[in-house]
Amino acid sequence: MSDTRIIKKRYIFMASVFIGLALLLVILPKKSTSKQLKPEQLLLQINDNNRYVSTDEVARKIIAADSYMQLIDVRSPGEYAEFHLKGAINIPIDSIFNKDEKGNYVYEDILNQDIKTNVFYSNGTVYANQVWILLKRLNYKNNYVMKGGLNRWIETVIRPKRPPVTATVNEMALYNFRKAASMYFGGGSVAAPAEDNTPAPIIKKKAGKEEEEGGC
Amino acid sequence: MGPLFNASDEWSFVIALVIGIAFGYLLESAGFSSSRKLAGVFYGYDFVVLQVFFTAAITAAIGLLFFEYFGWIDLSDIWVNRFYTGSAILGGALMGIGFVIGGFCPGTSACASAIGKIDAMLFLGGFIIGVILFDAFYPLYAGFYKAGNQGPVKIYESLGMDREVFLLLFVIVAIASFVATGYIQQKISHKSKKY
Amino acid sequence: MEEIKVQQHTPRKYMNPYLAGVLLGLVILFSFYLTREGLGASGAFKRGVAKVEQIIIPAHVNSEKSAFYHYVKNGEDPLKNRLVYMIIGVFIGGFLSGAINHRLKLKLEHSPKITSKTRAIAAVIGGAIFGIGSAFGRGCTSGAGLDGMAVLATSGFVVVGMIFGVGYLVAWFFRKLWI
Repeated sequence: MSDTRIIKKRYIFMASVFIGLALLLVILPKKSTSKQLKPEQLLLQINDNNRYVSTDEVARKIIAADSYMQLIDVRSPGEYAEFHLKGAINIPIDSIFNKDEKGNYVYEDILNQDIKTNVFYSNGTVYANQVWILLKRLNYKNNYVMKGGLNRWIETVIRPKRPPVTATVNEMALYNFRKAASMYFGGGSVAAPAEDNTPAPIIKKKAGKEEEEGGC
Repeated sequence: MGPLFNASDEWSFVIALVIGIAFGYLLESAGFSSSRKLAGVFYGYDFVVLQVFFTAAITAAIGLLFFEYFGWIDLSDIWVNRFYTGSAILGGALMGIGFVIGGFCPGTSACASAIGKIDAMLFLGGFIIGVILFDAFYPLYAGFYKAGNQGPVKIYESLGMDREVFLLLFVIVAIASFVATGYIQQKISHKSKKY
Repeated sequence: MEEIKVQQHTPRKYMNPYLAGVLLGLVILFSFYLTREGLGASGAFKRGVAKVEQIIIPAHVNSEKSAFYHYVKNGEDPLKNRLVYMIIGVFIGGFLSGAINHRLKLKLEHSPKITSKTRAIAAVIGGAIFGIGSAFGRGCTSGAGLDGMAVLATSGFVVVGMIFGVGYLVAWFFRKLWI
């Protein structure tokens, strides 16, 4: 090795260049990244179960008048009119991407923001999931799906099943909460909505595809 | 606007060959064809591994970010290593041990073999044996191997930092380590006459 | 360092490591720019093994029981991959540098304190352990480490951290091999 003197001028120069460049990168204005997700990235996101919110959680937030949660009913306007969760707005799935005269998405302000948490629901989970995927592709954040949809809502919140005597303390506590919530929501008198009979959407396919291409 | 070619295009093979030649040439020129130089990083008498490795890393990282800034490359389009928690940790640990005992890694052993180093060829032989063993007993740990996939997560995301700030920190730490190891190397290699 | 043997040509000095590092960094940069991926070494050898298995024991490698199933599935040729060409390049490049710098010499390098045989055994064992490690790590110091850090992937830093961390931990036990 040629150099035994560590602090030589050229090294100081080089070090300054590196630090200078890195500093420059910190200062330079960032490009806006409202890019769409590539399909492979989308697949990774799909397999992530963090998007689900349970019906109990939704019930809690409604009762607590949590103003940071926005429920969004993605069913048709007719179904919405018949019954919808308290505080939910209606954005039917086939009108999410409606544009106004200027060509902007009508619902973009609601769907693409990071202040409120959007929780989508439908009768089952299928449609809400579809909406979630579509918006995920546009890289919108803060969107969640109520697991099980209204069907599960009825099962758990409106008509909770009494747990067997062997239940744990937590299970009993949950049941009591549900009974109270049921009364809050005027339970027992709601007709169960139609079942989601559509077959599982295409997203479920190829869950096991390992992307091994690339790398070393 | 890159990346220009797909990994499976014919041209990418030619490019890979050329890049490999440059890679091998630089490795050998820097002295990575000598196991004793390589192992020096663990004993303080020769930090060439650290110096080349981290200089290359920060150069490439800075370069990539500037390329993105100029719109020459789409960073979400390039290959990012997926983070499999258990496998990465175990793999890294074993590689560290193998490095200390064998004194090479596959790339350096390739270029060292090319100049006639027999210990490098032996290392390569052992490497292939290791790979075969891994495959032979694969069902035993296939589950572990595939588990813990956090995807192509970036270090600044895991640390909750701004990307450019992390890079700046990385550069500073790297340079600091160059200075520190430079001193250490000088002290140690002056002490022992042998190396 | 350099050999003190008096030969026809004395080997040239090594390149300044920082210069080599910058150049290597640029090579990586262009690799990503041109082909979307970086460097890699271990992958080529894994594919080589897969190819041999494809010929000798196709039943094994074409089943889920093999770690290299995805290299050969659908009848693919595991050697048709840029990594294989890259490692060929590494051999060529190393040879070129060795030739130009007068470092071509058949020899079993080892610390003067141990025998060639010891070094030979250590090289094979070290290689085997490294082989298993790089299979788990899905790459080696180049593919997982260098590329990983260049793209600021967590995986890269974790792997490099473990390599150096564990390496330093066990270095003391194997010091006889080197110093």
